[in-house]
Amino acid sequence: MDEAEVARLGAGLALALPRGPHRGRVGEVRAASAGSSLELHDFRAYQPGDDLRQVDWNAVARTGDLILRVRQDEVSPRLEVVVDGSRSMALSASKEARAREVALLTTDVGARQGLSPALWVAGARAERVQGGACRSALRTSEFDARDDLSAALARLPPLRPCGVRVVVSDFLVEVDLGALCSRLSRGASALFLVQVLDAEDLDPSGGEGARLVDAESGAALEELLTEPVLAAYARRFAEHQRALRAAAQRARATLLTVSAADPLSALVAGPLRALFVPGGGA
Amino acid sequence: MNFGAPWGLLALGALAPLVAAYFLRRRQKPVMVSALFLWRTPRPRAEAGPRWERFTREVSLLLEVLAVVAAALFLSDVRWGEAARRRHVVLVVDGSLSMSARGAPADSVMERVRREAAKRVDSESATHVTLLASGASPRVLAGPEVEASRALSALESFQPLGADHDVLPTLRWAQELAGPGAPVHFLTDAPPVEGFSVPATVRWTALGGPRDNVALISAQRRDEGDTATVTLRVARFGPGPSTVDLRLRAAPGPGAREGTERVEHVALPEEGATTVRLTFQGAGDVEAALPDDALPEDGHVLLPPSPVSPVAVGMAPELGAAERAALERFLAASPEVARGSMGLGVAEVDVGPRGTNAKVTVGAGGKLRTFVGPFFTEKGDALLDDVQLAGVRWTAGDNPPGRPLIAAGDAVLVSEEEGRLHLNLDVARSNVQRTTAWPVLWSNVLREARRRREGFPRHQLALGEPLPVVTNPGERYALRGPLGTKPVFGAGPLTLPAPAAPGRYVLERDGEAVDSTEVLALDARESDLRGRGSVDLAAKETRASSEAAAGSGRARWPLWLLLAALLADFYVTRRT
Repeated sequence: MDEAEVARLGAGLALALPRGPHRGRVGEVRAASAGSSLELHDFRAYQPGDDLRQVDWNAVARTGDLILRVRQDEVSPRLEVVVDGSRSMALSASKEARAREVALLTTDVGARQGLSPALWVAGARAERVQGGACRSALRTSEFDARDDLSAALARLPPLRPCGVRVVVSDFLVEVDLGALCSRLSRGASALFLVQVLDAEDLDPSGGEGARLVDAESGAALEELLTEPVLAAYARRFAEHQRALRAAAQRARATLLTVSAADPLSALVAGPLRALFVPGGGA
Repeated sequence: MNFGAPWGLLALGALAPLVAAYFLRRRQKPVMVSALFLWRTPRPRAEAGPRWERFTREVSLLLEVLAVVAAALFLSDVRWGEAARRRHVVLVVDGSLSMSARGAPADSVMERVRREAAKRVDSESATHVTLLASGASPRVLAGPEVEASRALSALESFQPLGADHDVLPTLRWAQELAGPGAPVHFLTDAPPVEGFSVPATVRWTALGGPRDNVALISAQRRDEGDTATVTLRVARFGPGPSTVDLRLRAAPGPGAREGTERVEHVALPEEGATTVRLTFQGAGDVEAALPDDALPEDGHVLLPPSPVSPVAVGMAPELGAAERAALERFLAASPEVARGSMGLGVAEVDVGPRGTNAKVTVGAGGKLRTFVGPFFTEKGDALLDDVQLAGVRWTAGDNPPGRPLIAAGDAVLVSEEEGRLHLNLDVARSNVQRTTAWPVLWSNVLREARRRREGFPRHQLALGEPLPVVTNPGERYALRGPLGTKPVFGAGPLTLPAPAAPGRYVLERDGEAVDSTEVLALDARESDLRGRGSVDLAAKETRASSEAAAGSGRARWPLWLLLAALLADFYVTRRT
């Protein structure tokens, strides 16, 4: 994990928060909801029951209508980063590093943005840390779960509602993807599914016969990696991706698929643009 | 466990590439993948744990080895245990004496038969063999359905010494033992005689050859006092020597100091036989031997002493003077008769007057009547053999009890009552005692008494002759011979089947020897080796049906085992 690169990139980035309302303790982040901060958010016509202190009397004078100033609420929203701790995430050094870097970048940017990040590592032993401990947790956590993300989620404590969730995984699981995405999005104000894939996941190399061993279960399959076999894999992988994408859409989640072979900077500038926006501010 | 088609075991050679492939596959480098399910068709069932998967290769190898072994077992037509199917062959060996003929020392007919039998067992892939020896009384040498090695071992120790016989009953029996359509192998030394109908499933193999032979065709010994008279008949079959030396050796008998040894030069006619009669004094066993030739067994005989035992006749004191005189006249002229003591149980024939308990009563009582004929006789009764009553004047009284043997009108002249004979005869007024009927009748009485004597009526028999024996009622008898001991059932004069082998046969009563007789290995038809030859006549009925039956009987369980192993292997390998 290249922490220096994460730090360098995080300095100029901000999380692309959704337009929907955030919830959290009073903080420094302007929420989408109307509130009592000094930042003007909008104008609208007065309705009975509105706070008369917010009437813009100048506008009333100019227009003759009761115009109300709508001020933006300031909250401190939650940011939950869930990292898949299954063994398949450590399939290669690049895949493992890229997963850790994306998670670290998310927590760093979120913290810098005033969010209160929480990190969940869904490994063999569920782990949850907050704030500055996220970095050290990402350094030391092991991708050692012998089951997939769906099973690992059962070991986690319930995710907190109304937070922004970023789930880092390869999502190569043989489960009902719709149910998985629905479960991840339940209660979240926004959900980003960052799918980190190794080059061998995307385009496996062929050649001689091999004994394929599942990284998580240890199950083995002996295959001659011929062109038809590779083509069949590509077909099934494409079907899986389509299903994942559809499930993400149904769950109002954003699926971001990245290749571990690409450097983090390229990912931020490319597939992760939907999560990280330039600017370093809200 | 045995194999009907051992070549099928070559299929086990498939194990070598199988194991090689196993080790080659073990050398494949494992490649970790994120999602194994993308490499195969997804299945709804959850995968087993890695503990099982770790041994998948080994389990798969074992299942594949099991499949190969099952296939090899099926191809080799495995047979398991007694319940499994077996390949059964019935061999019939001619048990007649001529099968012992030999040319060169190691080339006897029997040796050829043994070799041929072993070949048949191999060629038929026989696992079980029933071995029969033909004879007047066929017998089982090995079987039914014993292991082939045991049958061949029994054949090694078998020596054919039986008489000439009809082989058809043995072949019929063998067919029944073999089952419908199954072949029967008959090994003999001569082709079937013209007109003989060989059963359809019998393969007739003759392994003999024509040879010259000089043989004893009969031998008899008669002992009277210290003198033993030996009568031998020597025959030549084929253009052999015109003279032969007959060597006789008499062992010393009881009381004799030394034995006797003689060599007789016997001239042999071209056809026919020469009779040699010799006498020995105080001789024990007499052994006669011809020089060894193609069939040595028929040139040796051993003749034990065969003393004549007279019949003891006793007369009751109450017997009338006329009756006594008539009987004394007969006894004086009758050979092999001794005077016994009446009432002491020594006499075998006791004669008394009418109304006594004697075995033979003579006398007439009541109103006497004289008959000159016609006489009615019971022709079937042995007591009346050759009894001629022409010219006889018979004076009889009241009818005696018992079954009438001779009658005249309503008068019973002779009757038989539970082994007792009643002569309703007044000797003083009759002329029967002066006719030939009198000695003939009494000779018959003595003959029947001799016949009813416990033991063997004849002490020398040739091969193939039935064995007469007399037993007493109420006793338990057994006949001990060269082939073992077997019980003798029945009482009185019996005729046992011809002994299957020559040798000494002893009659035992409750384990105690009573009498013995010698069965000599003499049979002129077996000694004539001129018509022997070699031929191999295939069975008329093809073996297709029996082979088809054998194919259908192939064990199916290896196929099921093969299928189960393949399915299990498929299941195991598809899990991974």
